Amino acid sequence: MLALYRGLLYLYPPAYRREFCVEMTAVFEEAKKEAWQRGVVEQVVFCARELGGLAGGALEEHMRVVGGSDFLQMFGSMSGSRRLRMRSEFRFPKATVALMTIILAAVVWTIEKAKAISASVPHTSQQVGPISVQFTIVPTLVLVLIIAGTAGAIGWAVLFALRRSGVQRFIGFKG
Amino acid sequence: MEPGPLTEPVLLILLSLVEQPRHGYSILKDVEEMSNGRVKLSTGTLYGALCRLLEGGWIERFQETDATRGRQAYRLSRAGRRNLQAEVGRLKQLSRLASLRVAQKEV
Repeated sequence: MLALYRGLLYLYPPAYRREFCVEMTAVFEEAKKEAWQRGVVEQVVFCARELGGLAGGALEEHMRVVGGSDFLQMFGSMSGSRRLRMRSEFRFPKATVALMTIILAAVVWTIEKAKAISASVPHTSQQVGPISVQFTIVPTLVLVLIIAGTAGAIGWAVLFALRRSGVQRFIGFKG
Repeated sequence: MEPGPLTEPVLLILLSLVEQPRHGYSILKDVEEMSNGRVKLSTGTLYGALCRLLEGGWIERFQETDATRGRQAYRLSRAGRRNLQAEVGRLKQLSRLASLRVAQKEV
């Protein structure tokens, strides 16, 4: 069991390993001794808790290394007890909404302008004339919405599997 | 780590360090005892939280005189104590509000 634990510690980033792995192993050994005196059920629960904690912790540390703490906070935490605090102050920036609206208006305006130019230019030669473009903004928007919805559903499913979805948090809060 | 609402395990870890510096296993046992066995931390969870608390300056390493390899002790820093007091104040206020609301509902 100790060998497995030590092996799993290699899942952590090297810097974290250097700083905490000796301590973690020592604490694990002490906790294991105690769990082993309490019977088989306690041993199984202990092993599951430790392995789950290590896997979740290692994943979380790698996410922090890759994208920093802000990146991690975007996705919440992998294990509930590792989440240090709720980011209750987070709001979707209003400036972003305004910017997206302006960009969308600019895109629509450009499409209309292109249509007008296309109509004004005589199509005398098939080879050099403007290419007829089918503007499909509505189907494109629908497609974008479908992709966004699918991505949202997948994200929610991941959070649900990790027991971090809003529903589960609410149930936990009520409990 | 900024001051703000804390999760129960982190709050319990900080509370276990209020009285005295403790090493990892001692924190695990104290958290379990304080929560009447409800909160049992794994080593991965404990050290993940300790890592954040160290980075945020809430706790600091404490050199014990009889420290052996693998038994690093931690203690609350001054900033950590201040933040913890603020969090306890926030919880008191919340508890008072909840009691009032529940009492009003029962009347």
